[in-house]
Amino acid sequence: MGRKKKKQLKPWCWYCNRDFDDEKILIQHQKAKHFKCHICHKKLYTGPGLAIHCMQVHKETIDSVPNAIPGRTDIELEIYGMEGIPEKDMQDRRRVLEQKSQESQKKKQNQDDSDEDDDDDDDEAGPSFQQPAAQPQAAYMPPMTQAGMHPGPHAQGMPPAGYAGMPPMLTGIPPMIPGMPPVMPGMPPGMMPMRGMMPPMMPGMPPGMPPLVARPGMPPMAPAAPVTAPGMASRPAVPATQSAASKPLFPSAVQAQQTVSGPSSTTSDSPKVTFPAYTQPSSAPSVAASSSTVAKPPATVTSKPATLTTLSATSKLMHPDEDISLEERRAQLPRYQRLIPRPGQTAAAAASAPPSGAVGGMIPAQQVIPPQQPGMRHPIHGQYGGPPQGMPGYMGGGMPPYGQNAPMVPPYQTGPPGPPMGIRPPVMSPGSRY
Amino acid sequence: MSGRAAAEKSGAMTGANEFKLTQGPEDSVSAVKFSPSSAQFLLVSSWDCTVRLYDVSTNSMRMKYQHLAPVLDCAFYDPAHAWSGGLDSQLKTHDLNTDQDTIVGTHDAPIRCVEYCPEVNVMVTGSWDMSVRLWDPRTPCNAGTFTQPEKVYTLSVAGDRLIVGTAGRRVLVWDLRNMGYVQQRRESSLKYQTRCIRAFPNKQGYVLSSIEGRVAVEYLDPSLEVQKKKYAFKCHRLKENGIEQVYPVNAISFHSVHNTFATGGSDGFVNIWDPFHKKRLCQFHRYPTSIASLAFSSDGSLLAIASSYMQEQGDVSHPADAVFIRQVTDAETKPKST
Repeated sequence: MGRKKKKQLKPWCWYCNRDFDDEKILIQHQKAKHFKCHICHKKLYTGPGLAIHCMQVHKETIDSVPNAIPGRTDIELEIYGMEGIPEKDMQDRRRVLEQKSQESQKKKQNQDDSDEDDDDDDDEAGPSFQQPAAQPQAAYMPPMTQAGMHPGPHAQGMPPAGYAGMPPMLTGIPPMIPGMPPVMPGMPPGMMPMRGMMPPMMPGMPPGMPPLVARPGMPPMAPAAPVTAPGMASRPAVPATQSAASKPLFPSAVQAQQTVSGPSSTTSDSPKVTFPAYTQPSSAPSVAASSSTVAKPPATVTSKPATLTTLSATSKLMHPDEDISLEERRAQLPRYQRLIPRPGQTAAAAASAPPSGAVGGMIPAQQVIPPQQPGMRHPIHGQYGGPPQGMPGYMGGGMPPYGQNAPMVPPYQTGPPGPPMGIRPPVMSPGSRY
Repeated sequence: MSGRAAAEKSGAMTGANEFKLTQGPEDSVSAVKFSPSSAQFLLVSSWDCTVRLYDVSTNSMRMKYQHLAPVLDCAFYDPAHAWSGGLDSQLKTHDLNTDQDTIVGTHDAPIRCVEYCPEVNVMVTGSWDMSVRLWDPRTPCNAGTFTQPEKVYTLSVAGDRLIVGTAGRRVLVWDLRNMGYVQQRRESSLKYQTRCIRAFPNKQGYVLSSIEGRVAVEYLDPSLEVQKKKYAFKCHRLKENGIEQVYPVNAISFHSVHNTFATGGSDGFVNIWDPFHKKRLCQFHRYPTSIASLAFSSDGSLLAIASSYMQEQGDVSHPADAVFIRQVTDAETKPKST
């Protein structure tokens, strides 16, 4: 960020504070989100333009810009892209961006340190690294006041001297930024505060976890080795906006995203909200990187199908609640379950063929009926159903739902009861298994 | 007789340039795939445990073979050989000239995806047993088993690379010539379960869809400048009575010539998108029920649309399953020049 000449770092929307790579994209965004007529969906060019259109064409007045944050809804202000933004708001924005970038950089350093020095051993590394970074930051952030404080005696004559003091600060900062990279790989530890939130949420959260930690809002902080180098190069340009984006993401993600969970989901509210709008073209490196850090949470969930979190009160996801694929869900239906060959069934089916042939004419007839069924159950029923004596009670228990038959009708029972029908009763006792 | 003429004769026309296949499967369609060499033949796999071969030029079913359980995917190795797999975990190949089956091998759990990689000449299968297996189509035999972090839901071939989408929203890129290690490990940039991944014909990237009415366009080159170009957009959503209904996007198919792609959702709509200008080119009429699968023919002249209820709302009654063959025009599939 050595180029202080630019009047703004990146195009941003005055109405909703979102950042964009390009003024063209910003304008498209404004036209689609802020200057679009809610009645006929026509896209106008400016706020006043929209107001005039609604009045002339629909005879309706509008008093605020749609989808704008409070305080920025003035319909009469003529803003187009970055043009027309009041100077005061520009300065506010710049200040806020710088504050954010200092804060989040500082915060990351702090976290990096706090994670690294659990023992006291790393204390020296920590503070000594932090100080050089902290000082220029502290001096830079509130420029006038600090500069006033620093060389105390010259307080009166400060302002010009303060400015004179600034350039050295400025030159100090760019070197600081390249100095930041060693902190960046600390991003995963930097993600700790979020991870810390997770454990309480974990049981209910599984599907939300990976997305949460992925945080495409933090793209440049990719620890993934191949990506860090290019990541670093772009960082000076990006960190302010991205880290700035990371802060407002917490509150603004509520409006930007429809991911605010409905009343039904309990613990998932705040973590869901943090997930930024990935439609911004900035989500690559961290997504790749965080998958390695995210490895743990998803692994704990493999036992039970996780449930999806609902979108919001006004959105309905047309999908069953469990987070398994539609095909898996369908495969669980009884009418498909019975078609799936069970392990060992094909062998047992072969084993049952000879005995059934030996038993008598009734059995083969029964077996032929379901030609496609490789499963054991039909042949078994055929066998038990054939000889009428002593069977009915067992049959009654064994017949109805195929899914529950397995314990009752172990496949290997068909082996022994070949020719000697007398053997049947012992074979059939429920507890016995072969 | 052209497919259209045959269809007109039999009353199967469902639009000016679209007709429904006769003798369709008796349960939901899981996949449709055109032959690599001609727009005449279409493979259709179904939950009725069959794989059928259709001649779309005469709207007739030419061949049918069975699996033990519902078939989840099918693919052509070459114009004369179909490969398929499903809930019975068996990988079968069927010689379309001799009408003979061969069981090539098995997975330890249902096979979800079957694809062919022409550049490496290998068949690829993905399964809920969390593995991807390669198969030499000539012998045919197993050529390796490669563990994935989760159940495989979808996969696609881009040149000599394989992109695998698993449960847990993981995406892995493998080099089919060197399967010793994963080339790239990614996480889907969409927050919800991955439904389908298809690679661009130009092999630069892939399109990924989720169950939450969203599609992401991603690039394979991991460099930051290229990664910045990736984006996602919402689609297949309907507003009804103030509630927005968000549908899974089940199917994606690329037009081989224009690099534009079609998506099909559980809302019953098919949209065609231009990924370079980020615009929708076209939307067809609404189909009777969810779109389960889409396939462009290799010359880009036809689009096969499988309309099958996928149990999104549970086991309820639904419109009949059908496969539609639609003639597509440049106006519908070609990027606008402005």
